[in-house]
Amino acid sequence: MRVFAQYDRDVREEADVVVIGSGPCGAVVAKELACAGRRVVLLEEGPPFTPDDFVLDGARSMARTMREGGLRATRGYVMPTLQAICLGGGSLVNSAICVRPPDFVFDAWCGEFELERTTGKDLAPHFDAVEAFLGVARTPEDVQGRRNLLFRAGCDVLGIPSEPIARNVKGCRGSGECFTGCRSRAKQSMDLSYVPAAIRAGARVLTSVQVQQLHAEGSRVRGVSGQVVEPFTGRRSHRVRVDAKAVVLSAGCMATPVLLQKSGDLANRSGQVGRNLQFHPGVMVTGVFPDAVQPEFGATQSYQSLHFLREGFKLETFWAPPTALALRMPGMGAALKQRLAELPRSATWDAILSCHRSLGTVRARRGASLDPLLTWHFHPEDVKLIGRAMGVLAEIFFAAGAEKVIPGVHGLPDELHSREAARVLETRPWKGTDVTSGSTHVFCTTRMHGDPRQGVVDELGRCHDFDNLYVADTGVFPRCTSVNPMLTGMALAHRTAQSML
Amino acid sequence: MLLWIVLGALLGYAGARVFLGHPPAQGFRVLARREVAFLNAAADAIYPPGAGLPSGSEARVSESLDAYLEIVPPQMRRLMRLLFFLVEHATALFPAPGPRGFRRFSSLGAAQREAALDGWRTSRLFPRRLVFASLRALLTNAYVADSGVLRGLGLTPWAIDTPVCEADLLYPPIGKPPAAIRHVATTPPSDGTPLDPNAPRHPAYVGVSA
Repeated sequence: MRVFAQYDRDVREEADVVVIGSGPCGAVVAKELACAGRRVVLLEEGPPFTPDDFVLDGARSMARTMREGGLRATRGYVMPTLQAICLGGGSLVNSAICVRPPDFVFDAWCGEFELERTTGKDLAPHFDAVEAFLGVARTPEDVQGRRNLLFRAGCDVLGIPSEPIARNVKGCRGSGECFTGCRSRAKQSMDLSYVPAAIRAGARVLTSVQVQQLHAEGSRVRGVSGQVVEPFTGRRSHRVRVDAKAVVLSAGCMATPVLLQKSGDLANRSGQVGRNLQFHPGVMVTGVFPDAVQPEFGATQSYQSLHFLREGFKLETFWAPPTALALRMPGMGAALKQRLAELPRSATWDAILSCHRSLGTVRARRGASLDPLLTWHFHPEDVKLIGRAMGVLAEIFFAAGAEKVIPGVHGLPDELHSREAARVLETRPWKGTDVTSGSTHVFCTTRMHGDPRQGVVDELGRCHDFDNLYVADTGVFPRCTSVNPMLTGMALAHRTAQSML
Repeated sequence: MLLWIVLGALLGYAGARVFLGHPPAQGFRVLARREVAFLNAAADAIYPPGAGLPSGSEARVSESLDAYLEIVPPQMRRLMRLLFFLVEHATALFPAPGPRGFRRFSSLGAAQREAALDGWRTSRLFPRRLVFASLRALLTNAYVADSGVLRGLGLTPWAIDTPVCEADLLYPPIGKPPAAIRHVATTPPSDGTPLDPNAPRHPAYVGVSA
């Protein structure tokens, strides 16, 4: 294990496998291969964060843990999106949601992308292995908090099935601090779970190393090179070279294609590297209740409804640092201050939209930067999901006893005071720009496909164009998952690791 | 010819102010005096003085943004400063209602400032709304980060005893060598006892209001 302060000269390493990126997928591959006796080097550009390094203020925390200061956005349709830069990747700062997609998602993958071994049944053992290692379990009732239980109550009134969310958490106390780092050390983020296990099994973990290039000869990759970078400033210093018999790219759906492009457009005979970018745009509705909700208590996101998945959206509860939640309050002046004062009586719930028709691209910038140029367009058919999902959320709020909802939609009143008034959400014509959505679920930029002419990797994550280059991150999804993607990415990474043994 | 020279000099000056930076205001590390004036004016337009929660300037929004700008990547910092410059001077294109509404934003009266920002907020043009949303997001982040505001909302974080886990024996604090790891053994992990909503809050958020 090496951290920034330990580098005093250039670094040269040899390994059986070098894994680039310590997020959920890379950490799984590193641990599985190290436990099988492979010499593994795991490279991570960010630093490890200790509880002393956590910052409770949302914006400042994001500036420290996210690339581009947490201010990344797409072009085309302007949508904020995030990518973590820290040991453990997004798992350090996500809400630990672990959901298996329903079988129809994998059936669609297999049918449309010529895959033969990627049904729900095929992947079940890999889901089982990951869930068992992390101790994935449904959120207990006593740390739900009223904010989450109101969602259940509203769903019950309307007859909408709902359930506690399963998470990679052991001993949650309901602090609601998943997004700024769990001070209870209950969340089993990769830096606390898979990475230490990989180290125990002999993996060497080099943090603060930015990989800049893959080195290839013919159909084989020889290794990677990059530089040591200082945390937060990104200042580059010593050179790093790792020669390896196999390379696994787990840099994330937005960085892996950039690395391939910057390395001479590697693995791109199909022309699909950096294409097919998909998101789950998220939209939110806030409800204000007549009495205290005490929303700061309770697991960050711990109740959900999968009832509308086939229709194209998933509903879930939400909490974030107040700095972020306050952004949902509309207006300005005295009215805005009044609305902020209502935060303790409010709850915010969100819908993630399965927008498989809305596509974009990831391209490398000129110069040394590895930050991507993202372009994405909201397909008109997918835009229609916004109103439907927000309308259902508003209905659940009123069924749960909310006195008003705050939709945050351009062209609508700031507040809607009844179910009847909220129907406008479903009946009005929508434009994507009527609402500010955001997304941290990103997919498909190095998609798997049975046909090498149409995809970058095969079902096991190996690049069609190379014998020993693998991708293990959400970029390999051929299509969005309709549910939170971390667990699926880890299950696929587990299968990739098994296939390399 | 003279006109072109003057115009060129003005454009160069404006560009330099936005892109090359200029001396920070006293007590600030990034923001210049005029930017502080703009931010205080904008913060008080969005979070005006009055009953209940503190005003934007009482919540030290510009100080908080100064600290934030210091840690964001330079490219983002430049974009944010361009945003401040744009709204400060866009009154030449979108004047505030009332007399002399074309003056710089920070030179307008309080009602005019609020009306000017409301013009951005309710514009039919998405890019204008986006400008407002971006500015308001920055100001709101800074405003709600203030401990006085959080106390006013009753949303301060809890005091939490953090257990020592295996990873805490592996990783030093950022920027420090392994010798800085202060733990020598793990402690029992969290047993999942729910936090008491009325339990003490984080000491950094307890104290004198801003």
